[in-house]
Amino acid sequence: MPAFRSIRNRRKKKKLNAAFELQLTSLIDVLVIILVFLLKSYQTSLNSLTTVQGLQMPISASPDEPRDSLQVIITPEGITFEGLRVVDFSQDGNSAGATEGTYKFSDGALDEGGKRIVALFNTLVAAREKSELLKAKSPVRDEKGNPLPFDGVLAVTADKRIQYDTLRKIMYTAGAAGFKVFRFIALKKET
Amino acid sequence: MLKRPSSRRRIGKEQIALNLVPMMDTFVTLIAFLLYTMAFMVMTSVETPLPTATPTEVAEKLKEKPLQLTVSFRKEETEIWSPFSKITAKKIPNTPEGTPDVAAIHTKLVEVKQQFPNEKQVVLAPSGSISYDSLVAAMDGIRMLDAIDPPIIVKNAETGVDETLKLLFPEIVFGNILSND
Repeated sequence: MPAFRSIRNRRKKKKLNAAFELQLTSLIDVLVIILVFLLKSYQTSLNSLTTVQGLQMPISASPDEPRDSLQVIITPEGITFEGLRVVDFSQDGNSAGATEGTYKFSDGALDEGGKRIVALFNTLVAAREKSELLKAKSPVRDEKGNPLPFDGVLAVTADKRIQYDTLRKIMYTAGAAGFKVFRFIALKKET
Repeated sequence: MLKRPSSRRRIGKEQIALNLVPMMDTFVTLIAFLLYTMAFMVMTSVETPLPTATPTEVAEKLKEKPLQLTVSFRKEETEIWSPFSKITAKKIPNTPEGTPDVAAIHTKLVEVKQQFPNEKQVVLAPSGSISYDSLVAAMDGIRMLDAIDPPIIVKNAETGVDETLKLLFPEIVFGNILSND
């Protein structure tokens, strides 16, 4: 394109039509396709399960969808209950949390012969008491007019590097605090 | 069909411009809402109850001598056995990576299921050093039936109709929560 336009060319300057309208049809097509795709892959979730930074979850083909319940998250760094860190693991040297077996409970964190996690037990007992109190105040009653019992379900979201020994301690502690059912959470395997 | 001259004059002369702006507004709002509420991480769960039994229940069960299928994960092998010797115990060596051989465990459990089609429960006794990843993979192999597995047919007690089972041993209980090994 020449740097200087002739006077004739300048006169030929194209004027926009006053009734110019934007052609939105192609844009609408794109939006419809995106909308259909999103609606097809849309999945509502019945739970409010959360994760923490650095959590590497295992993959499972189980068809069961986790329902809403109290949640404990275990990573090589520590144990979190309902978003609140209750136990910090001692890390082994410079490989903190990198591989399995690099974490351990700090001194005094366990009792009952190394089976029960003290801080987690206290937190779980408080959570159970709060839940029971809420159920007692709730107008929802069973057939006999009594408050609904504590369901005692604990969702366990653990890092895949966590060892069963830690899980066993958590299950023991939760059992002692009145939790009777454990839901192990994993990422759903693509089928 | 002939039309009145007044009608003929109007045909094809007026172009209707569809106002697509409100529709676009709706679409953009919907897409934003769907993207915001979409679950990108689909989670699943495996439910296990805490093993509890009263002494009377235990005594009743011991009279019947149940299968009580047990899978023990050890450092070098996995053993599938029954405390009452209802099946021949089988030891399956771990893979070279040191994880339980889920495929071999699954194959053995399918054989057991064919022998005891009404049995639903498995007792797990993992060693303390097994990783959660290996445990979840093993639980999948224990609970789920693959498409290539032979069909296991059970008569429904309520309807009396033969049904093909969809799950292998859906109920998993950890049997060594109280131990420290």
